Amino acid sequence: MTIFGIPILSFITFFPLAGLVLILVLPGRKEKGVKLAANIVAGLEFLATLYLLAGFRGGSGEMQFVERAPWIKSLRVQYLMGIDGISLLLVLLTSLLSFIAILSSWKAVQTRLKEYYIFLLLLEVGMIGVFVSLDLILFYVFWEIVLVPMYFLIGIYGGERRLYAAIKFFLYTLFGSVMMLVGILVLFSRYHTFDWTAMLAMGSILPAALQTWVFLAFFLGFAIKVPMFPFHTWLPDAHVEAPTAGSVILAGVLLKMGTYGFVRFSLPLFPEAARRFVPLVAVLALISIVYGALVSLMQKDMKKLIAYSSVSHMGFVMLGLFALTPLAVKGAVLQMINHGISTGALFLIVGVIYERRHTRLISEFGGLSSRMPVYAAVFLIITMSSIGLPGLNGFIGEFMILMGVFPVNPLWMAIAATGIILGAGYMLWLYQRVMFGKLQNPANESLKDLSLREFAVFLPLVLLAFGIGIFPKPILDVLDKPVEKIIRIVNPEFYEKEAAALSAPAGPGTETAGANKRAAGRSEVR
Amino acid sequence: MDMSAFASGLKPLAPEIVLLAAAAAAMFVHLFGGRKGPRKAGWVSLAGMAAAGAALLWAPLSGGEIYAGSLNVDPFAVFIKLVVLLAGALTILLSFRFFGVERYEPGEIYILMPLAMIGMMVSASTVDLISTYVAFELFAIISYILAGLFKKERRSSEAGIKYFFLGTLSSGLMLLGMALVFGLTGETNYGAIARGLATADSHFALAGMILFFSGLFFKAAMVPFHMWAPDVYEGAPTPMTAFLSTAPKAAVFAVLIRVMVVIFAGYTVQWSAILFYLALLTMFWGNLAALTQKNLKRMMAYSSIAHSGYIVIGLAAWGERARAAVLFYLFVYVFMNAAAFGLVLIVRRGQGFGEDVDSLRGLARKAPFTAAAIVIILLSLAGIPPTAGFMGKYFLFLAAVDKGMIVLALAGALNSVISLFYYFRIGRAMFMEDPSAETTLESSLPVGVVLAVSALVCFVLGILPALLSNFAAASVLGL
Repeated sequence: MTIFGIPILSFITFFPLAGLVLILVLPGRKEKGVKLAANIVAGLEFLATLYLLAGFRGGSGEMQFVERAPWIKSLRVQYLMGIDGISLLLVLLTSLLSFIAILSSWKAVQTRLKEYYIFLLLLEVGMIGVFVSLDLILFYVFWEIVLVPMYFLIGIYGGERRLYAAIKFFLYTLFGSVMMLVGILVLFSRYHTFDWTAMLAMGSILPAALQTWVFLAFFLGFAIKVPMFPFHTWLPDAHVEAPTAGSVILAGVLLKMGTYGFVRFSLPLFPEAARRFVPLVAVLALISIVYGALVSLMQKDMKKLIAYSSVSHMGFVMLGLFALTPLAVKGAVLQMINHGISTGALFLIVGVIYERRHTRLISEFGGLSSRMPVYAAVFLIITMSSIGLPGLNGFIGEFMILMGVFPVNPLWMAIAATGIILGAGYMLWLYQRVMFGKLQNPANESLKDLSLREFAVFLPLVLLAFGIGIFPKPILDVLDKPVEKIIRIVNPEFYEKEAAALSAPAGPGTETAGANKRAAGRSEVR
Repeated sequence: MDMSAFASGLKPLAPEIVLLAAAAAAMFVHLFGGRKGPRKAGWVSLAGMAAAGAALLWAPLSGGEIYAGSLNVDPFAVFIKLVVLLAGALTILLSFRFFGVERYEPGEIYILMPLAMIGMMVSASTVDLISTYVAFELFAIISYILAGLFKKERRSSEAGIKYFFLGTLSSGLMLLGMALVFGLTGETNYGAIARGLATADSHFALAGMILFFSGLFFKAAMVPFHMWAPDVYEGAPTPMTAFLSTAPKAAVFAVLIRVMVVIFAGYTVQWSAILFYLALLTMFWGNLAALTQKNLKRMMAYSSIAHSGYIVIGLAAWGERARAAVLFYLFVYVFMNAAAFGLVLIVRRGQGFGEDVDSLRGLARKAPFTAAAIVIILLSLAGIPPTAGFMGKYFLFLAAVDKGMIVLALAGALNSVISLFYYFRIGRAMFMEDPSAETTLESSLPVGVVLAVSALVCFVLGILPALLSNFAAASVLGL
């Protein structure tokens, strides 16, 4: 598939660069032109990814739209791109959230517009590149490209402690990624290729000790990005100080790069090490879930609350991934998307009142629902989506993760479930304190409800929250085969046991399909 | 005497001869050029370097050892000569700006530089102890003058004196090492020495090697032989600092590689181990010391020490891939380094230059394109893709991992994180802080050219490293 003769993956990766160049040549005084250009480019980019979706063959576990060309021939580095169901979903999420982030900035950002939109578009190039690269060096290059614009977005357009938060974000995540780079080089010294597909074809040839070390190197890179406890300390700072659009992208997409790295590279490339580390990762994930939720409860700043809730939610994703069962992994990937939608929307929600009042302290608000009914409704829906109310997207993902974790270790499931309860606690309490009660702060008397543009920003997210909550099947179908492929490498016993248990008539995969139906069925009933 | 045979025998040295002619021409232009004489001499010198570059492409390789086994103009030497010429040309551009602002233009610089470059270029192709030493001293002595030439400032004289004393010490060490090796074998030609060493007492050979190398480590400013470097780099006129922190290093690393590979091939385990620790020390020390610097020039001085450390990774990880990585890095480093010191020349403070990191405040708002170019340079220095600096580090680390030296790759990677912290103090000042009242930012064409060219090189080679890496890989074959 091509667009204007350019292979589609290259096109969607580099198209935002066209917008970047366009903005560069536009005179800086024409603020409206700059904004318009950025919005149009991001919108077209989203349409291009929809076109990608249209051409995608859903039932396949293979890489599609593969592009392959030598890049640095002498060192066997290739320009290798391709996507499967997992990457497809993340690419769609990225282009949607980027568009929304750019649209939401129309009024929020008033100074140094050109650079602002250039950074956002550059960020999009990096993020999409990460999700479509199949050559490890290419992947690494995109992975690092993301850091730079985000550093500037936080550092230039952020809040009071922006300088500190920006460099902390940069150093922290760079530390993780250079460790990953060394891991990649060690991989190359054994495989003599950076090609992910070729590595999978060769199987895991690393000796056990080396595999552990390389796994740990990748683990640092990805776990810092996710972020998992105890590597999470950069996140609250970065989130709180970043401008709204930056937080949306950071929570919505950047964190997913970490979990994507686990599911794409760590699990299938280091299956033995991954299995060995399941207890450790699960414990860290559980700590993230409970600790993140408890800290969220205590926050006075809305943005900080949501930031810590991300730690908790991403803990769920990690737990699901390392349960190594198809149901849990699919749930985890779905939960990555869900978290992108709901947390992205939550940061936008905070952004809306921050733009009006220039404060995010919960105590400054109360009783807003009487002044902003539409806003209240949107906030409520997203809160419910974040909590995991059946009928909304969050429920499906969390439920699948819990179901998938249960056979592995019931205790883990029980602890994770308390995270859901705590989650309901901090979110509902937040909602109550901000929206209900009497409007007592006179500064809130004249708050205006959502404008049409702001509503348009939220609409797709709300629709998606409902859509995935009511009818998740298309997404789960897309994930079926790619996830099965990964589980067959990292946890082959699962299918062996299943085949043995069900003996002759039922083939592998039926258990997962049945569970999907159950999960989907329950949500449809409600 | 048959003149044509004589002339054709000189052909491999054509670039050096062109430079010599340029230096002589520059001298006359300086003397008789009137008030604008120094600047004109600079142009002559620059043109001479361009012509030498053309001669470099045109001149044939020597195809083996020539002049009684003292020189070997092989592809490796040609690559190093190219690096030296680039460093020289970029330096002249920076000098135009520096001495223009300072209103004191010692035209001798434009004569001395090509002469020093002849020494560096010859040393890249020497395969004989005597010619190595002579070529070394040629550029070393001129380097002392270049560092101390800016008589307006006392710290420049201090730099010159320090450089002179410690440089002489290092030359002495090197000479002592050479003497030991000569005493053992009775030969001065590298290949002949290597054959002689095969049967010689290994203790003496090792002692000779360590002394010889110590001298070279001094000149390359490797920790713990670096103590002269920060003061000299800070005190020397800024363009000379850019020059002294790249071109001599290229020559030193060239000689080091040749000596390692040819003379001490039998001691690979030993020198690899020595270089392993030196790389660690140099990287960490350079970067950690740079963290606390507020003076831009001094920060970059320490940064340049750290970059020597990265290059030494490639020396420790012996082998052709590692040597190609070293060449790639040297080439890229010339541009990064020239741009980094060029940065210091943008900001005016009173009569001179603002050398503090803070003086770059608010640059992004006044000169967004300059700031963007600087960001590319900084990313490249820190080794973040998509820049040539990343590719250079990637090649070096890959070579290290290839030889099982994962620790070196890890340390190098860690150092790139440390270095980011101080490099992006500059990024922060340019983009995130408000302009200060004490300094003014001035655009300047020569500095602009240096920044633009360097940023372009760093970016293009970051996307298409094969443009250079194939050339580098071909240059190290058959050393």
